[in-house]
This record gives sequence, C-alpha cells and structure tokens, in this order.
Amino acid sequence: MDETSAPVRLIPWKAETLNTAFETDLLALLPRLRRFAIGLSGNPSDGDDLCQMTIERALANRSRWEEGTRLDSWMYRIMRNIWIDEGRRTTRSLQTFVDEEAGSAIGGDGAQEAAVELGNVDRAMQSLPPDQREAVLLVMVEGYAYKEAAEIVGCPVGTLNSRLVRGRDALMQMLGEDA
Amino acid sequence: MSARVTPEEIAAFADGELPAEREAAMRDALASDPDLAKQVERHRALAARLAKHYAPVLDEKVPDRLADLLTARSDETVIDFAATRQKQETRKQEAEKRAVPSKGPHWGWFAGPALAASLAVAVILGDTNSAPGVGYAGPQLAAVLDDQLVAEQSPAAETRVLLSFEDETGQFCRAYSGVSGGGIACRDDEGWRIERRSEGAEAASTDFRMAGADDGAILGQAQEMAAGPALDAAGEQAARERGWR
Repeated sequence: MDETSAPVRLIPWKAETLNTAFETDLLALLPRLRRFAIGLSGNPSDGDDLCQMTIERALANRSRWEEGTRLDSWMYRIMRNIWIDEGRRTTRSLQTFVDEEAGSAIGGDGAQEAAVELGNVDRAMQSLPPDQREAVLLVMVEGYAYKEAAEIVGCPVGTLNSRLVRGRDALMQMLGEDA
Repeated sequence: MSARVTPEEIAAFADGELPAEREAAMRDALASDPDLAKQVERHRALAARLAKHYAPVLDEKVPDRLADLLTARSDETVIDFAATRQKQETRKQEAEKRAVPSKGPHWGWFAGPALAASLAVAVILGDTNSAPGVGYAGPQLAAVLDDQLVAEQSPAAETRVLLSFEDETGQFCRAYSGVSGGGIACRDDEGWRIERRSEGAEAASTDFRMAGADDGAILGQAQEMAAGPALDAAGEQAARERGWR
C-alpha cells in the first residue's frame, strides 16, 4: 500500500527535541518572564497568555537564538514585541483597568491593605504609555542596565533614559510623595 | 548647581547608571542641594516599591500550561535506541532484531535547526528491512515533500517532514511522519523514491500512540543514510528552490 492512498490523518504531535538545555534554561527563566508579562499586560491572566505566546514563538524560532548570547534578553525582546503587536490590535488592556478590582488581583491572596496598595501601583503602571511602561519594568523591576534595556526594546540608550524618566515622573505623581 | 543637572541624570544617578565623570559632579551637587538629594531618594523609593510590588510573582508556582510547554518534551526526549527496541518488542513486531544498532547513536550533528521545530509522532516502525524498491510517493505525499519545509510547517500538518539530508549519492532525502505511515524518500529523476517506510499505522487510529522513541528509529535510519548533517532551514529552502535536485 502506498501511504498516500490512505487518507492522511492529522497528527497531534508531541514536541520533541534532542537538546533540552534550551527548554531547561527557559524553564528557569519562567518566573521572571511571568513577572515581566504581568507587569506589561497588567494582570496575571493576560500576562500568562502573553507568556505562553512568547514561549511558543521562542520554541518555533529557536534556531535564531545564537548560542552564547543572553537567552533572557532574547526572550524579553520576543515578549515585548508580541505585546506591542497585540496592543496595536486590541484595546483590551485599557478596558481591563477600568475595573478597580482587576488591579488588586496581583498577589491576590495577600492582606487586604496590601492588595489595595498593589492595585494602586498596577493602575498607575497601566496608565503609562507602552514605551514608558516597558522601560520602567525593564530597568526598575527586571534590573536591566540602561544599555541592555535599550537593546531589548530596540532604541537608543538616550531614548530609553528619557522614556524612563517620563514614566517615573508620572508614577511618582500618581503614587504620591511616599512613592 | 542642580540647574545643570537634568532629570535624566538624576534618574540615572539613582540607578547607578551615570557615567563616572558625571557621578562625581553629581555627588558634589547632592551635598549642597537638599532638594536634589530628595529627588534621588524619591527615585530610589519608587524603584524599591515597584520591585517589591512585582516580586511575589517570582515565588508563585508557574502555571502548568506554561511549564508544560517546556517540560512535556523532556519525557521522551532523547532518541534512545534501547527504548525503541523495547517498544517494538512489546508491540510484538516480528522478531527483527536487526534494526537497532547497539552502539549509541551520534546525534550531535543531527540536532540542528532542522529538528528545531520538533518532531511528529505516532510512527510505528514496522518492517525496517523492506528497504529500497517500495515505489514512489504518490501525488499527495510528493506535494508535501516538494513544498513543506521543516522550519515552516504547521504543527498541525497532516504529514510532517522530520528532516532533510543528502545521501551519499548526493540525492536529497527527506524523512517524514504521518499516521498513515512514515518513512524516508529520496528525490531522483522519477520522483520521490521511498527508501524506507514505517508500517501504515492503522492500529494507531484506535490505539493512539505518542511518538516518543519511534521517531528515533526512523531518524536513526536517516542518519545511516545521510552523508552529512541534516539541512538547516536555509539549506532546505535552497534545496526546495532547486526542486530537490
């Protein structure tokens, strides 16, 4: 029997690879990637969706990652690119944060007061334009040097610096003196 | 003094990002300008607050749906010929002990980008001796072999190309996998000549099997036939443009 004479069935495939170091390294990065994703998208649910898309794209494009370069930077770059693209397509993130309670979902099982405080930061972050938000997150939360953050975003260091300053000023204003 | 210090510099100083030559000037300015010092403090307080705010995410359990994307594949990952043999035996394949080389396979050079997109499934490797002369690919399979690139194919593709390589005679060969059969085909003047094939997997339609080590067997045969590494994405594309000749 020629195999083409039989109806060819669709195969759910199990991804398999001969080199798991890549997966192992990604797995180790996952908590940080989630943190960035949740910061960008504003809530855990959208953040995890973003994370999933990022991992899938990374796996599909793994041949483009150059061994010896930083995997974390590569992943952050993929993530922010997806996020920017998605943001152009949808205004969902804006709608999400109309709901006051959505903000306090992060770290949701903490004390009530803490949840409120968290919500404030979330709402303030979500009010920032995307370019400022990612700059703030990369430097102030993820701890990247300006140069590294600029490479992830794909802009000059000076541009990154000024976005960062504008973002911080806005945050300090929103969060008050005790910020 | 602070008039000469820009907001960017204040933030950069707070982040430890100010160039050394400016940092000294900034320290002088700070000493004499309480307001400036206060601004730096606010920057640092903000950084601390943000870091603290997002830190709990790091301690949360990563949702399974994310971790599974990266761990599901490690179960049956390595092409393991011993496991292949064992499975084949438990599946009552007739006593063919031949297929499995006892030496460990040298997968290093095969683990290139062509495999990156990972492999399909459900091939039950049957009569591995029924080598050449089994005919040519029909139009449907031939179309897949002509057009489908490993790097671009959809995970949902009905027949997946596992990898492509050149055999010792310089012909392009491609290993593929589908529920109704998998194998290795090489392009010659006539078309895609089936060099190896796995058993048609009728059984698999009721008894669904995950690929696991079985693809390993077919890839093992590919390796035996190949004259060099599997083609990478660019190599595949170039070969396709030349019609695989």
